[in-house]
Amino acid sequence: MTSRSRLSAWRRWLPGIALLAAGLLVKPVQDRIDSLRPDGEVDADLIYFSSPGAVKAMALGYESLLADVYWMRAIQYYGRREEAARRQVRYKNLPALLDIVTTLDPQMLDVYRAGSIFLAEPDPIGAGQPREAIRLLDRGISQLPKEWRLLFDKGFVYFWYLHDYRSAGQTWLAAARLEGSPPWIEGLAARGLSQGGAVDAAKDLWRRELENSTRADVRNNARDHLNGIQVDEDIWTLEFFVEKYTATHNARPPTLAELVRAGFTSSVPNDPSGMPYDYYAPTGAVSLNPSSKARPITLPDDYRQIFMNRLAAWYESHQKK
Amino acid sequence: MKVLAIARNTFRENIRDKILYNLILFALLMILSSLVLGQLTLGYEEKVIVDLGLSSISIFGTLIAIFIGIGLVYKELERRTIYALLAKPVHRWEFILGKYLGLLITLLANVVIMTAGLELTLAANGGISLENSLRLIPAVYLIFLSLAVTTAVALLFSSFSTPALSALFTFFLWVIGHFNADLLKFAQLTKAATAEFVAGVLYYVLPNISNFSVADSRSVIQSAAYFEPIRAAAVAWATCYAFLYSAILLAIATAIFLHRDFK
Repeated sequence: MTSRSRLSAWRRWLPGIALLAAGLLVKPVQDRIDSLRPDGEVDADLIYFSSPGAVKAMALGYESLLADVYWMRAIQYYGRREEAARRQVRYKNLPALLDIVTTLDPQMLDVYRAGSIFLAEPDPIGAGQPREAIRLLDRGISQLPKEWRLLFDKGFVYFWYLHDYRSAGQTWLAAARLEGSPPWIEGLAARGLSQGGAVDAAKDLWRRELENSTRADVRNNARDHLNGIQVDEDIWTLEFFVEKYTATHNARPPTLAELVRAGFTSSVPNDPSGMPYDYYAPTGAVSLNPSSKARPITLPDDYRQIFMNRLAAWYESHQKK
Repeated sequence: MKVLAIARNTFRENIRDKILYNLILFALLMILSSLVLGQLTLGYEEKVIVDLGLSSISIFGTLIAIFIGIGLVYKELERRTIYALLAKPVHRWEFILGKYLGLLITLLANVVIMTAGLELTLAANGGISLENSLRLIPAVYLIFLSLAVTTAVALLFSSFSTPALSALFTFFLWVIGHFNADLLKFAQLTKAATAEFVAGVLYYVLPNISNFSVADSRSVIQSAAYFEPIRAAAVAWATCYAFLYSAILLAIATAIFLHRDFK
């Protein structure tokens, strides 16, 4: 190949090579520009309009699509934990986003249902705004008055997050009167109205959610709560047997397995994630293993008393036999 | 027959201009949406696919109606092909009507293929019953009617203005067409008789695009997304309106065109 033809081949390739080089340079240059901006300079929520009425007016017939976009944004806003942790108020704009979704498309049942859980769950899991959750559900009930599930959820928020058992019972009673509602709602209403069985009724509720919900996130939430209650109850039970063992043998059991050998219980349960509970013999304290995936939840003291009384009654009857 | 010949040629010209390439974008959108929506939204995958599909049909169609519609007459003038055409025994109204129908056929082909793509995406994404599948048709039809009116508006402007201005005017009218009812309400709020009168006149003069996007007080796309039926009366009256309004616009376009001097 002569030097002239080599030069002409180069000339042919040069524009392509220059284009490729320029293309490859775009990323580092853009990254450099991004690195000059302080973190969180743009609040992603503010990209979106916050007035439901304005968004609806500007939708130009595409309300349904915009509702989907805002719903996906609300899910990302709620679901991205790291992004949420960086905000001053973790879920400040969540009610506004849900308002926009339901204004654009008032028929999205799951938005009311899942949205109320997002709003009602206490910080850091949710927005810790159960009153906003009730407001959202009320909007849903006014739009879909024949939907018993919304009344069921409203009662649930009253019951679990606001501890307003009377309102919960009344709301479930209203749900029970709607066509298509399952027969067990009446039972729930009765239990809600009788305050004593608060946590027992809550367990029933979570079980219903776990068994009946078609949505994985709602089922997981229910499972977490049931497991949390299970952890508390297991620990109370084991500590109760440790106490009984100590009273009988004038010494604390060296291990939890000793309780089985001494006939206080037929087996020592593992926590709901499958890990054995930790036992500290010098104090008789039972606790979750630090590496366990199960999480305890704070149950009311009066429920602990009710549970312990039940356990004591069962133990005494068992001793008599 | 002459009208059909012009329409056929306009359609062929549109195909040659690669208008239907937007279908590739639509296909990509549908495939992507069915792949990623499960991770982005809690439930409602089917609803989002319908919303996305119908909105795309409407948006792509409107863009085609505006940007092709504004060039229908202007291009013939600029290329001077109009001289060859009008030298033949072709009436000017036949020319306008033929051009209009040609673009409508292009839009119809576009809408039909996109609807088939949407139905296929729904079928691939867990199946769709025949009943639900048919419930999308009235919504698609109403979207097509809105495209027919938008095309007529674009053609009207194309008959006397430049493409850039025609695009701007048509777009503005399309936006105003969604706020027509609000215009009337605002005028009523002012409680001034003149404002009410002017708003009343504008309400009927301006194209009422919301006649095609809202039926039975609900967004047409929303009704389709929940596979709810749209009342036949709403569809029938919207059809009457589209025919009437488009006919008036075409008549005005023809009148303007008749008085144009091509020297």
